[in-house]
Amino acid sequence: MKSIGRFWNSLANPDRIPRFYALVLGIVLIAGFLIPIGLNDHQLYPRPEPQLQINAQDPLAPYDRGGVTFEQRGIVKAQYPQYLPAIGEITAYLSPIAMGVDHTTLYYGTSIYSSPGGLIDEILYYTRGFDTVLESSILMMAFVIASFIALNFTMRRED
Amino acid sequence: MVVSILGSQIIGIIPLGDIVFYMTSFNLFMFAAALVFTFIIAISKTETQIEAEFGSLGDREIKVAKKEFKFRRFLAIICGLATAGAMVTGDLFDFTLFVCLIGIVNIGIVGAVKQVDVLDSAFQYGLIAMIASTPLFVGASLILAATGTISILAINSLTYTTPMMLFGSILLFLGVAGETGVAPFFATKAEMFRTPGSPFLLIIHLSSLLIIVRVIEILLIINKPF
Repeated sequence: MKSIGRFWNSLANPDRIPRFYALVLGIVLIAGFLIPIGLNDHQLYPRPEPQLQINAQDPLAPYDRGGVTFEQRGIVKAQYPQYLPAIGEITAYLSPIAMGVDHTTLYYGTSIYSSPGGLIDEILYYTRGFDTVLESSILMMAFVIASFIALNFTMRRED
Repeated sequence: MVVSILGSQIIGIIPLGDIVFYMTSFNLFMFAAALVFTFIIAISKTETQIEAEFGSLGDREIKVAKKEFKFRRFLAIICGLATAGAMVTGDLFDFTLFVCLIGIVNIGIVGAVKQVDVLDSAFQYGLIAMIASTPLFVGASLILAATGTISILAINSLTYTTPMMLFGSILLFLGVAGETGVAPFFATKAEMFRTPGSPFLLIIHLSSLLIIVRVIEILLIINKPF
């Protein structure tokens, strides 16, 4: 009994809390190896087999989702299609530079600088737009705090 | 379309693309409580602490400087709004982002004080909040992998629970516990409350309280123990 009391007392020291938390997290993560993996294959963003597009000499190879910008919808799925009347319409969008690269090489889709299709934009700004707002506000808050501390404690210090 | 969630009627939904906010009387009450409290904080002034010295008359007044006051008020309002948003959101990933925002803003509220002890414990809290973002997002993504969706309304209508969903919810809870600093990890936050500037510090308490209530609701929806 005494040792439990001592253990609880040791938790009152803020220096030990991160270590304790990391220990608990480590135990849980190691226990996670025992969990059977059951994946759901009805994923939100399906696409055709990568080899099909590569064999068809498609420059956007693994990422091509079809569609014509503002005319024909590409392959995008949404959780609630009834709230997204224009889904898939910009999936085929390429910026002018991307179009130039697309015409010169066959390997645009797998090159490191590629962002083929408007799919990423659709996820970021249309289907899950509020997440983007939140993510950037988290980043903004981090910068606000860091710059306040830097200005008031590092540069204009008056102890 | 689902009409009831955990036995309470859905009053309305706010669709923002795939992210759907839903309101039941339970969520709506917590949402209103967070907003009202945020408003009270936004119009209130800070407390002034008196440090008395034992055996003498040398009392010292500890006040919050104007600049620091403004900064902390701003962060407290953001924290209150994020709490209110987390109460009504119907999307798991959105919820984790709100919790993450609350965690960062909590550090900022105490990050501007001048007591070294408080800053030390705020640093420790920051370490936990950073570590905790891993299980938070891993939990949400495991639930996405196991169910194929992160919309709470869609998860509510599923009829099965798998061990992976349970593991994902344990990780999610561990992440929220770290970000809000509840029971076994509370020591870091307890030190933070010793600084002057009371109404802004209370929002840290209130946000962690409401977030814990809400995460328990979400875990009940995911795992369906009843």
